[in-house]
Amino acid sequence: MQRVRATFEKKGRAKYISHLDLNRCMLRTFRRSGLPIWYTEGFHSHPYYSFALALSLGFESSCEILDFNLNEDIPFDEIKDRLNAVMPEGMRIVKVADQKQKITAIAKAEYSFSLTAEDVDGLYSAVQALLEQPQILIEKKTKKGLKEVDIKPEMEVVSCEKTDNSVDMVMRLPAGTQTNYNPSLFIEALRRTTDIGFDAEKIRRTAILCADNSDFD
Amino acid sequence: MLLKDKIEKHLLEIQKPSRYIGGEVGSVIKDKSKVDVRFAFCFPDTYDIGMSHLGMKILYSLTNERENYWCERCYAPGEDFEAIMRENDIPLYALESLDPIKDFDFIGFTMQYELSYTNVLNMLDLAGIPIFAADRGDELTQIVVAGGPCVCNPEPLADFFDIFILGEGEEVNLELMDLYWEMKQQGATRTQFLEKACQIQGIYVPRFYKYSYGEDGIISKVEPTNGAPAIVKKRIIKDMDKVYYPENFVVPFTEIVHDRVSVEVLRGCIRGCRFCQAGFIYRPFREKSTDTIFRETKCLCENTGYDEVSLASLSTSDHSDIDPMLTKLIDYTAGEKINLSLPSLRMDNFSESLLEKIKKVRKSGLTFAAEGGTQRLRDVINKNVSEDEIMNTCRIAFEGGYSTVKLYFMMGLPTETDEDIVGIADLANRIVDLFYSIENRPKGRGVQVSISVATFVPKPFTPFEFEPQDTREMIEHKQKLLMDSVKSKKIKVSYHDPNVSQLEVILAKGDRRLCKVVYEAWKKGCKFDSWDEHFKFDKWMEAFEECGVDPAFYANRRFEYDEILPWDHLDYYVSKDFFIRENKTARQSKTTPHCRLKCSGCGVSKEIGGPCFAESKSNI
Repeated sequence: MQRVRATFEKKGRAKYISHLDLNRCMLRTFRRSGLPIWYTEGFHSHPYYSFALALSLGFESSCEILDFNLNEDIPFDEIKDRLNAVMPEGMRIVKVADQKQKITAIAKAEYSFSLTAEDVDGLYSAVQALLEQPQILIEKKTKKGLKEVDIKPEMEVVSCEKTDNSVDMVMRLPAGTQTNYNPSLFIEALRRTTDIGFDAEKIRRTAILCADNSDFD
Repeated sequence: MLLKDKIEKHLLEIQKPSRYIGGEVGSVIKDKSKVDVRFAFCFPDTYDIGMSHLGMKILYSLTNERENYWCERCYAPGEDFEAIMRENDIPLYALESLDPIKDFDFIGFTMQYELSYTNVLNMLDLAGIPIFAADRGDELTQIVVAGGPCVCNPEPLADFFDIFILGEGEEVNLELMDLYWEMKQQGATRTQFLEKACQIQGIYVPRFYKYSYGEDGIISKVEPTNGAPAIVKKRIIKDMDKVYYPENFVVPFTEIVHDRVSVEVLRGCIRGCRFCQAGFIYRPFREKSTDTIFRETKCLCENTGYDEVSLASLSTSDHSDIDPMLTKLIDYTAGEKINLSLPSLRMDNFSESLLEKIKKVRKSGLTFAAEGGTQRLRDVINKNVSEDEIMNTCRIAFEGGYSTVKLYFMMGLPTETDEDIVGIADLANRIVDLFYSIENRPKGRGVQVSISVATFVPKPFTPFEFEPQDTREMIEHKQKLLMDSVKSKKIKVSYHDPNVSQLEVILAKGDRRLCKVVYEAWKKGCKFDSWDEHFKFDKWMEAFEECGVDPAFYANRRFEYDEILPWDHLDYYVSKDFFIRENKTARQSKTTPHCRLKCSGCGVSKEIGGPCFAESKSNI
């Protein structure tokens, strides 16, 4: 049995495929590819594959991780080509490799997004002001109901730049098996602190990282 | 702003956005500068339902095989997205190009059920296309057409459509598009095109027929104008092994109602159940060979990646090669870990070997259509299933490990009495008793018999087309009687809203005077009438009232044999004489054997130039 880790992009119209739908979509993609995907051996035998992280509906990504097993060894390039030949529009395998690290090694993810507004200067100031606050409190839905959390300590702002019509940000947030924060939490917090109208666009996951900021491999 | 950007700006505000943006695997994208004729294939219900429709998949692929024609898909938006579309001036668009359908050459609807009529109006309105055909001008563009079973009596829709296409579309759709392209190049007008189009067999242009009514409200005359034929005949495909079948389906991202490969195994039906419109309008019976079915199954599974396939037909177990066919299919599907589902099996030829095959593929319960509670009534409707067969089928099912069965019945059938209603409960009771009398019944579980009772809707092109529907009072009485007759907790009864059935019969048997009622109902906010949560019966009744149309004239009046029926000028190969004969036979509680046993002389063989079955004795 060959254990495989594929990295794929999810862009354009493919960002409207929900996580649940993505599962079904991948199953059909595997079947179309004719790759000998390994089935579990339990009572309800099903093809085994798993996504490292769920991606919110409407987010793009250049780095989604998909693990699966094949019944026979097939060269990585061939796996990539056969999947890409039958992938939906907007989804493309960029890399196929061994599963080097355990999924639990994932600690954070990096996101880029644009906040567009007519009053860019005002919005930029509001962003700066929010980032300078000692705490950024947000309400997060948990299994036990709404919980107030401070995302500030675990939020790393990589860049925050002003353009003619937008504030472009790159930030890292915790991801993986423990805590998952989503950039929309920050965006909601911003909406609560400013009256300036803005749209959040082009939200994209750009990297899946380990605790030391190295790429998850 | 581009329409695509306008749409995307709001997509994350609504339920299941992937339904509105296209990009699915298997969708066909063409370079529109190289396309001559554009066809928007519209389904007057939501994506989840429309995407499940097999006929649309066939015609979509077939049209797109032609390089210079482009067929795209379009569905009714859900309430949330419709509000956004109206608010932001997003016209109804097709999913492949995301272009507004008002710019298309053809806007085609498939009419599968009567309660989708208001959705057609709503979709035309959302598209910015004039709702009334008369308001569309004389330019040759925006031809609004419809096909599907409901167009066998399209009169309640006559004012909204330019063309109705009768029968099977595989050949005639392309003939129509060819004519359009030819005349478009010549600079013809809409009227000139329609005058030529109605000369093609299967093409019905409603504006070329003038209706007159007598003082009693009954049609006195239907006169063709503009050289249109007095009788319009439906189209059929002769050889099912040669008919086009798609090699690929559009595979949706979101889950749809029938989310699987569907392979058509046969068309038409040999049975002749007297209530069943499909059983008559799709005649003659034609089947695909096992080899064709196998080839199409394999090809579609490989190309779509679906791991489920279902056989489509009116009665799959009537296929002449059913056992070897299933063996061959199951060999393949089991090896590929594909689920095979077999809807539409009949009770009278349900064998143990067939059950063994089904058990391999199906885990859920079994559903059978008994339709009537007593043998007398089943004979009236020509549902040739005996109580012994029902019991035997249930016994086989119980012994085979099933403990739930679902039975379909109808209420309000012609000649029905209270005794027939009590008979439904009695039959269910006997099935419960049967379960406990079987020694090797499934252990540890009780039996559950579910009874689903629909209100009978007499339909055009059936022997019951003349029949009135029971009034609401009669139906309510029968429903109560049934509930009072069911004593066991093992029996679960469900039934349909009789108001829905009443509207269904009116729209099924109605004439042109109903167009304004449909329009008024839509104006009052009626749409998605087949959805319980959207159905507004009171609004419909207001519309009837305001238009001065009496619902009972259509729903509860017996149509006389010699009366001109709204659909008399449409020819579905089965003759009115046959329906009259069958209606009389029904009243004597006499059955008519199925077509393989004996030809009943329905008129079809005359149309196809020979007997439907080599083995059946001619009776003509």
